[in-house]
Amino acid sequence: MNNKANKTISWLEVLRKYGTVIGTVFIFIIFSLVIDRFFTFRNLFMLLRQMSMLTIIACGFTFVMAAGGFDMSIGNVTGLVGMIFAIVLVNTSNFWLSLLVGLGVGLFVGLINAMLVAYINLPDFIGTLAVGSIAYGIKMLLTKGNPIFIMNPPEIFTFIGQGYVGAIPFPVILMLVFLVITIFILHKTKLGRRIYAIGGNTIASVYAGINVKWYRMITFLVSGLSVSIAAIIMTSRLNSGQPLAGENFLLDVIAAVFLSTTMFGEGEPNAMGAFVGALIISMLNNGLTMLNVPYYFQYITKGMVVIAAVMLAVVMGQKLRVKF
Amino acid sequence: MPSNNIKEEILCTRNLGKEFNGVWVLNDINIDLEKGEIHSIVGENGAGKSTCIKILSGVYTPSKGEVIINGQRVRFNNVKESEQHGIRTVHQEINLIPFFNVMENIFIGTELEKNVMGINILDKKKMAEKAEEVLDILGVELDLNKFIHQLDVSRRRIVQISNVLVHNHNVIIFDEPTTALDESGRRRLLEVITNLKKQDLGIIFVSHNIEEVLEISDRITVFRDGKNMGTMLKKEATVKKIVSKMIGHKSYSDFKRKSVKGKGKVIFEVKDLNTEKLKDINFKVHEGEVIGIAGIVGAGKTEIVKAIFGIDVVESGEFYINGERYKPKPGNSVKKGIALVPEERQEQGLVLNMDVKKNMSLAYLDQWSRANIIDLKSEKNITEKLIEYLKIKTTGPDQTIKFLSGGNQQKVVLGRWLSGDFSLGIFDEPTKGIDVKAKEDIYHQIDELAHKGKGIIFISSYLPELINVVDRIIVLKDGKVVDEFDPKQDTETEIMIAMLGGNDNNE
Repeated sequence: MNNKANKTISWLEVLRKYGTVIGTVFIFIIFSLVIDRFFTFRNLFMLLRQMSMLTIIACGFTFVMAAGGFDMSIGNVTGLVGMIFAIVLVNTSNFWLSLLVGLGVGLFVGLINAMLVAYINLPDFIGTLAVGSIAYGIKMLLTKGNPIFIMNPPEIFTFIGQGYVGAIPFPVILMLVFLVITIFILHKTKLGRRIYAIGGNTIASVYAGINVKWYRMITFLVSGLSVSIAAIIMTSRLNSGQPLAGENFLLDVIAAVFLSTTMFGEGEPNAMGAFVGALIISMLNNGLTMLNVPYYFQYITKGMVVIAAVMLAVVMGQKLRVKF
Repeated sequence: MPSNNIKEEILCTRNLGKEFNGVWVLNDINIDLEKGEIHSIVGENGAGKSTCIKILSGVYTPSKGEVIINGQRVRFNNVKESEQHGIRTVHQEINLIPFFNVMENIFIGTELEKNVMGINILDKKKMAEKAEEVLDILGVELDLNKFIHQLDVSRRRIVQISNVLVHNHNVIIFDEPTTALDESGRRRLLEVITNLKKQDLGIIFVSHNIEEVLEISDRITVFRDGKNMGTMLKKEATVKKIVSKMIGHKSYSDFKRKSVKGKGKVIFEVKDLNTEKLKDINFKVHEGEVIGIAGIVGAGKTEIVKAIFGIDVVESGEFYINGERYKPKPGNSVKKGIALVPEERQEQGLVLNMDVKKNMSLAYLDQWSRANIIDLKSEKNITEKLIEYLKIKTTGPDQTIKFLSGGNQQKVVLGRWLSGDFSLGIFDEPTKGIDVKAKEDIYHQIDELAHKGKGIIFISSYLPELINVVDRIIVLKDGKVVDEFDPKQDTETEIMIAMLGGNDNNE
């Protein structure tokens, strides 16, 4: 092999690994130049706080997708957990009880998803979509579609979504903690390795003695847990349970996690990439809003980002592992 | 050999050959097919039958030689061109649409239409008439309104054949058409194929079942190692003659394993195993013993593996390892000390987009981890040692496994188990599609493992390697153990005849 060929390959390699990251930096620079108030501490912290919920759910979703699965229920379940959390808090004024119930609801939905998809073998897409629909119905029935306002909220409740540790918003800290734990689990532990093996080749994993159903169940539980945490942050930020809140998360999360497969040369969903993906989506939301682009235009950009992310993943030679 | 009667040759091949990466998998094949004739091709796995069929049906283009149809030289670049010349294949896999009815399936791709007020709509009446006509030719009665999923396998085959007949056809190739058929289904199908002879066409019949080949063929050609070993007329053919041509005197591999002296304690035992496919399987594997399981395709070899390891549902049966009864479930089987090198390396063995070390550590991850955290350093070190020990050609533990050659990939699957301590090693076709050097390395590993006192089950559809490597051979046929051989005393021909199920009546 001569040097010239080597060089071209290594450039391609850099582009393959970091192309999306470079693109992210590019968008960031453009927005900073075009919008006066974009590159300010205030706005950047706001951006980070906005993306914290998205990143947390995307981390959970990364677990599911790394094992070759898919979870369509996340958007509606975020709303459901938020509503139930708010109802329990309003009725008992007990923060810790509501927290427990909130996390429990997310885990329970994750368990239902896992039963349907991993054990009864419904296609992921259909099973979780149906569960999402049920979650939507329940949350609307609970309050007839009205929001639940939390009067005289406990301090700790307000802190979760609105508090600061030093200059850093608390949700950002939660996000970073969740992100680091996710990266650690997926890349350093047996659990993570087996999840990726299952996503890479389910049959070979069975032949290596891995209990595929069990590990797939864990991924759905993590997804449910991440949805709960995000929902609780959201409820605290809004100081209320909003029935329609969280509905947009589904597409945002899908976009972020698909984008992650195009990053760091992993060719697989990965948490660091999901973080960058979430940053792209949030930056677009934030920047376009500041540019006074009509709100509904964001749906169009997001749709295009999803298409671009998936196309990029395919062009880069990854087969899509999602089973529909 | 051209026969004396003057008959019309519908298809012949001259010096046909196919080369892959410098290896001639098919070489100098000359076959003639006459109108109204059933010409069978037989041979062991890898003898070149399917390559030959694939050239005729346009899947492969030949590397040399030519195909002549009705005296005209032809060259197919794709399946469509072959079909335009009337060559149709009834594939082993049944590719019909389950929720379409019989008639709709017969006319997939050739739907008949009629014009009503300028619009083309399906002409169901005409299709029904034509379908009945075709079924008449085949001598079968079949309800055209039945859905495919309501039919048994033999009738599905018949729908497949009918589909071929409504297209233009000169030559029909049957590729293992009786696979997965019970006796009555097999009878029905062979009758149908015989009925087809009256039509203006030639039939190429490929089958593992020598008895049925002898029954329906006019001529039989034997392939071995990609070459034509000769064509014989039905009246001169016997099972023994065919089998000896199939086997030949191969210079194959110098490896010859000396068996470990004496039988140790029983490592593994299966009692009265029954599954959908298997009937009353009983056998034991002793310490240091290598047993071979032989049988033709579909005899149930892989099904035994799947039952022992816990992948298929077991209807009844007891499994013991080291004297302890265990429940076959993949995770549990590994824990109890069973290692499995599965048949399909890429589908069942490897996670292709992971690197060498991750594939290596997949099964015994517990041993490579502390408190659930993988020790990445020792994972790399141990993988490096195994790479060296097994002489795996790779750039290192970080290379993605899909870039390795088949033999080296197989060694990684083997290495995965060597990193742990198992009692029973199951090797299902471990040398399939890998080069001779890698094959010998695998034999040596098996020998080594036996010396260490492990029990080994070695499954292969290639008899010479079983004979060279194992201590005793169990022959399976139709899901049952039909015989047991000692490879040091019994000959390959005897074993092959047991596999094919021939009591040689023609002699």
